[in-house]
Amino acid sequence: MSTLTATAPSAFHKGTTVDVESNLSTSPITMETTPTSTPVNQSMIEIDDVSFSYDLGKTNTLRNISVDIPEKQVTAFIGPSGCGKSTLLRCINRMNDLVETSCVTNGEIRIMGQDINAKNVSAIELRKQVGMVFQKYNPFPKSIYDNVAYGLRIQGIKDKSTLDESVERALKGAALWDEVKDRLKDSALGLSGGQQQRLCIARTTAVRPKVILMDEPCSALDPIATAKVEELITELRQDFTIVIVTHSMQQASRISNNTAFFYLGELIEYDSTEKIFSNPSVKQTEDYISGRFG
Amino acid sequence: MSTPDSPQDNPFCKSKETHKSKENAIRALFIIATYIILISAAFIFGDIIAKGAPVLMSKGWSFIFKKPQTLNVVEVEKADNIEIPEKNFDSLIRSNAKHSDIFNNIKEVQRQHQVTTFSLSSGSIIGEGYLKNLEKQNPGFYLRYDQRDLNSEVAFTIESDKNITLRGPEFAALKELDPELIPADTETKERNLSKFQVTIAAGEYPIGKAAHDALVPTKLIFQMRQTFADDEPDKINQVIIPSTQTITVEASVFFAAFDEDERGTLPITEQKDIPNKVDFNSFALKAGSYSVTPQVLAILEKHGAASLHNTTLGSIVFNNEEALTLSTPSDEFDILKKANPGLLISDVSQRDVSTTFINFSLSKDAELRLDIDDYEAITLSNKESGNFKALSEKTHSYSGGGILGPIAGTALLVAICMIVALSTGIATSVYLNEYAAKGKFISTVRLAMLNLAGVPSIVFGLFGLGLFVILAPTFTSQPNIESKLIIPIAPLASDIGAREVENKKVYVAEESLSTSEVRDLAAANGSTRFYDGWNYISFQGWGTCMLAGGFTLAIMVLPVIITSCEESLSAVPMGFREASLALGASKWQSIRTAVLPYAFPGILTASILGITRVAGETAPIMFTAAVAERSDLPWQGINSTGLDAFVNFLQQSVQALPYHIYTVAGRIPQSEYTEPMQYGSVLVFMMIVMTFAGFSVWLRIRIRNKIKW
Repeated sequence: MSTLTATAPSAFHKGTTVDVESNLSTSPITMETTPTSTPVNQSMIEIDDVSFSYDLGKTNTLRNISVDIPEKQVTAFIGPSGCGKSTLLRCINRMNDLVETSCVTNGEIRIMGQDINAKNVSAIELRKQVGMVFQKYNPFPKSIYDNVAYGLRIQGIKDKSTLDESVERALKGAALWDEVKDRLKDSALGLSGGQQQRLCIARTTAVRPKVILMDEPCSALDPIATAKVEELITELRQDFTIVIVTHSMQQASRISNNTAFFYLGELIEYDSTEKIFSNPSVKQTEDYISGRFG
Repeated sequence: MSTPDSPQDNPFCKSKETHKSKENAIRALFIIATYIILISAAFIFGDIIAKGAPVLMSKGWSFIFKKPQTLNVVEVEKADNIEIPEKNFDSLIRSNAKHSDIFNNIKEVQRQHQVTTFSLSSGSIIGEGYLKNLEKQNPGFYLRYDQRDLNSEVAFTIESDKNITLRGPEFAALKELDPELIPADTETKERNLSKFQVTIAAGEYPIGKAAHDALVPTKLIFQMRQTFADDEPDKINQVIIPSTQTITVEASVFFAAFDEDERGTLPITEQKDIPNKVDFNSFALKAGSYSVTPQVLAILEKHGAASLHNTTLGSIVFNNEEALTLSTPSDEFDILKKANPGLLISDVSQRDVSTTFINFSLSKDAELRLDIDDYEAITLSNKESGNFKALSEKTHSYSGGGILGPIAGTALLVAICMIVALSTGIATSVYLNEYAAKGKFISTVRLAMLNLAGVPSIVFGLFGLGLFVILAPTFTSQPNIESKLIIPIAPLASDIGAREVENKKVYVAEESLSTSEVRDLAAANGSTRFYDGWNYISFQGWGTCMLAGGFTLAIMVLPVIITSCEESLSAVPMGFREASLALGASKWQSIRTAVLPYAFPGILTASILGITRVAGETAPIMFTAAVAERSDLPWQGINSTGLDAFVNFLQQSVQALPYHIYTVAGRIPQSEYTEPMQYGSVLVFMMIVMTFAGFSVWLRIRIRNKIKW
């Protein structure tokens, strides 16, 4: 969207401090009409002809992928193991920077119109806006409160009342508040698996990012915990743009607005979830969805 | 049904008997090996505890809180009314617990003596020995001085008229220094002090220590089969004279080295007297006090003028701003006042003080063990009565007192080492584990580190000697001549000695002023320029000192620390780093908040284990830090203030426990008196190390329970 390029590019410039206070003050429960199944919103993330390599361009793990991810919707990446969906997800907040030899060899990823691999973009500022929830829930061995407040403290917020308020809002937003409000000072490791994963989601939402990336958030959880997390994701899409990688077809169909199907590093098909699951236009997609391979 | 043993019916039937016995034999072998280790360990520890514990029991806390001392073993005649100060009595009984039954009629007595209290004003000048006495008599008084005066008057007293005979050149020197001292009626005699020309045939001869010492300064070429230790005056060693030689020696050397009647002297084949005329000047020095220059005293001291002045280094100048109030026994006060004309004394007052003495009798002749300070106290307090009669007396170095010095030294060495090793070790391991790209460089560094961990500790000792003791850079305004490289870094505005006044317009700075202060003072004085010397970085080494020792130990323990820190760091799950980074933390923020806190237990354990290892090392500190003998503790004997004091503190050599054990157990002649010290030291050392190790285990369990994932 060309209108966005003019207004937003400075969001993750190096050295700019994002006004977290104003981010926080926006109410999390800005109720909107129930999300429609078709992408009508503005696109938040534009992935434009992206190729990516883990070994300095010798072999491309992702090849010429283009996806437009709309704002405040859930977009699911599906595909068999090793198809590159997680890699693409980690490109969006540049977590692949941790791998020394990785590089984007072709194309651009734009978030709010700004190319995130541009020279003057700071990965740190980017990640403040693009949070991530991991496959294996990884709360720090600290208290529940400290876990949620971690991101805010990293950003230099020390004021006790601001922290209290944000922690409560994040935990409420993650539907965890009622379960943990009496033991905020207890170790986070005392929670159940599902609670720990929701805590990780609360930790991510506490810093009020624009985008939340979720890398198979339910793969380590039992069905009941999974249901709760899915419910939470449906809630969260009112405030955040969510990109989720999942192995579960049912999960994708239940919670996502749009679905992208990847196979061997290439994007096979991207459309509204309804369309993908009812009437895919590519045969491979249909085979995968119907369980004929993968 | 057939028998169950037949292989056809039972597929799991036992195999042949031989297999079983072989299995059993191997198992027994392993058990024996394990038990041998256990038994040896039990034997060694048992031996140390069995022999060390009685020492600790008998010496009590004094073993830990006393400095190592010489032990006097004195044969004492039985006597009544022997007196000893109360504080020494306890130590006397403890040292002689074996025959405590001979101490009878023990009663307390009060002895009065007069004490003079006086004030010393700033600017007082005092002889070193007198200051030491004052420090001894005033507990808690310790003078930090930074100025000596080699020209101030010193005084000495002669009890009765004394004839002094000086050789020609000495007499001339004295006459020039202090013509008034020498009375007019000097008698000059010419005496024939023969020299001897002797010829010694080539061969191998037995030689005593006295003869050996006399021959060292002569031109005789000889080679010793064994060397003499300082405390073996009666030993006879073999000496090789490689060729027949003729030398000329003075009478004193002749009688010490070639006298046929003495044991351990060399035979000579030829002897010739060479006449040698020397002037001797005799004069009478009347009884009384004399105030002279230190140079004069230095000459007279050789001829019986007793004093406690240090004539080579000079007297000490008090620079305290406030006057000091000190007290001393009245009879010593008079001596002090007479001997130190430079003292500025005021507010003299006298009072009687009563001290508690213990009066006891010895029921029979006995051999008493006395630490040197107890011995001095008992001889002093029985000087008048003469009840304490020593029939014979032997001294055993390091066998008395305790091990406070070595404990303190080891603690300081370990502290310096751990500060250096942990700061560099943690930094290195964080870099290697978190920042550095995996590649050739890292694997080379790792390989180097593994190799370093295998280097024998004596090599580290030599390395430390080369690097820290003789090469390391140091800041100074007066570089050593032996310095390898001198780099001037900053102007210095003090230190008069280094300056040369060119003209009167130059302002010469007082000592210890900063450049800006000097500039202001120079301006105030109307001088246009002031002297600004230089501070240098001089690569002259730190000398044998605990700083060098601490650094050497740090380098030795670094590989261990780095390796275990790295292990602790890589044990922290990757998820913590990712979660932290995904929340917008910078690299260092994520390391600081999400990695280091969870690696902390491992790092802590590693460092405490490092401490136990470092504390026990002897070889690296042998060349770099440790001394066998040191009479004061590291924090005593520092005569400067501020940063200088800290630097001086770090630049002293110390005693260390492992080295002390080595000295007591291996370098001095063994006797029944040294043995308790060995076992006691080893036991205390073991207890310290094991406490640390146990503490580390406890801490690890505690923290691991608190932080886990």
